[in-house]
Amino acid sequence: MPKRKLDPLPSTAFQILLALVGEDLHGYAIMRQVAEQTENRMRLGPGTLYSSIRALLEEGLIEECDPREDARLGEERRRYYRLTSAGRKLARSEAQRLADLLRVARAKKILRGRYV
Amino acid sequence: MSEKLYAWLLRLYPSHFRGTYGDEALQLFRDRARDEKGFFPRLRLWLDLLFDATVSLPREYLHVPSPRVAAPAPQRLNGLPAFYVFQNESPRPGALLSGGLLSLVALTTCWVSLNQVHRSASPAVSQFAGAQNDRGSSRADSAQPAPGAAASAAAPPAAQAGAMDPAERKRVLAGTIANLKEHYVDRDAAQKMADTLALHEKHGDYNALADRAAFAVLLTRQMREITPDRHLTLDYFQDPLPQQPIGQTPEVLARYRETMKQQNCTFEKLEILPRNIGYVKLNSFPDPEVCRVPAMAAMTYVNHADALIFDLRDNRGGEPAMVQFLGGYLFDHPEYWYNPRENTTEQSWTRSPVPGNNLADKPVYVLTSARTFSGAEQFCYDLKMLKRATLVGETTGGAAHSGVWHRINDHFGMGIPEVRAINPYSSNDWAEVGVEPDVKVNAADALETALKLAKNKLKKN
Repeated sequence: MPKRKLDPLPSTAFQILLALVGEDLHGYAIMRQVAEQTENRMRLGPGTLYSSIRALLEEGLIEECDPREDARLGEERRRYYRLTSAGRKLARSEAQRLADLLRVARAKKILRGRYV
Repeated sequence: MSEKLYAWLLRLYPSHFRGTYGDEALQLFRDRARDEKGFFPRLRLWLDLLFDATVSLPREYLHVPSPRVAAPAPQRLNGLPAFYVFQNESPRPGALLSGGLLSLVALTTCWVSLNQVHRSASPAVSQFAGAQNDRGSSRADSAQPAPGAAASAAAPPAAQAGAMDPAERKRVLAGTIANLKEHYVDRDAAQKMADTLALHEKHGDYNALADRAAFAVLLTRQMREITPDRHLTLDYFQDPLPQQPIGQTPEVLARYRETMKQQNCTFEKLEILPRNIGYVKLNSFPDPEVCRVPAMAAMTYVNHADALIFDLRDNRGGEPAMVQFLGGYLFDHPEYWYNPRENTTEQSWTRSPVPGNNLADKPVYVLTSARTFSGAEQFCYDLKMLKRATLVGETTGGAAHSGVWHRINDHFGMGIPEVRAINPYSSNDWAEVGVEPDVKVNAADALETALKLAKNKLKKN
């Protein structure tokens, strides 16, 4: 089986997949959603954002929807992106992998605080 | 201002990225610039963008575009090196930074040297076009520089080859008169022009003229006072003209075929841009006998586009037959195709409709620059006159080259029209004045403008 381009899944791609869980978003909305879910630690620039989007499209993990306007941002038509079932599956297994890692970290007591 | 700055930064990205995501990247920049106002947010935005460019530029140049996203002309890739990534892990930030900087330096060097190579290579290519043109008796030698080049090439003539003496002047004048009488399409006008020039010589009007370029300009003006024909010229060239035009030998043809194969018949780029807009960048109009199949393949590639952009900003002309062949795709019935180099015959109509072609009713945009020349100007002129395309860019070069070329001596030659083509639109075509675009913008901005026009047009439909 040929090695997939996104194996291992880069964190940018994972964040984009997570951003698309629940709703279809255009590029700028993805960027803002990723910034929000990482508490502003990851602000995707256009080059990184669109090269990741392209890689996800090529792997069939997301798909493009019909362009439409975003009423909050004006009359410009924007391309929206949607999570595919393969994308959802991969995001889930990546989250599972991270949860397993977290369990190990917790067992080794390297984390501070009680709530992680 | 800042949007322009970012648009400039975007130009550093490879064309496959700009073609597919350029608009969206710019849109994202506009969105952020609108939402992040004030000194610090703006500073953070620019730092983000610069960091993003440093990280993503090398990655984009290493990326092999998938044909679904953007497909360049297939033959263009033959023989070119391809880059594959063996390692999938992300490189360290330090490596990315130095890689980015090195890429920038390398790209700038390539760009500068390619420009140099292009400049030194172009005369050879034009000469080739000339060799092709010599086959038809009524075709002009497009290797001849633009009429305007005569004056610019002449400075300072006295320092180069000494002043023109009366004997040389008389020989050039005699050559001019003999060629006029023998070749000019209107015999009566030719006789009148010959008489006028001889009379000026007799009255000593040329005695004070030692500047060869000025002599050529003056004689051209005096001939045109008799018959206002912009295709009739006497030109002076500082560099010696070749003795014989290069003939159509098998070696010349083989070399031409090889050159065309290497250059994909000068179809530099074919792309389907966002909103299904077809983009064809063509840098000459090659001989259909050699390039018919690649030309048909190119038109098939864009056949299902909703709008079409021909980028002729670097097109220096070529074969009128190819100009007409490609023009034929844009009509669903035969259209009269004006060609100042040929008599009007039944061949002067396009071969429309082209079987299987979908482009006859699609909006067409042609990008022009001051370097758009000769046959490329014919394409622009005819489509503009037929109201079939919107021309976007700069006024074209103004080279019709429709007179047949006659060498008088090492430095003088004449372009003499030997045919009468019916121009249904106006008594003058683009000779010396160029074709005015419908939308005048800098050549560098023409593609962006045409894309906006096309998108607006498609939105309305």
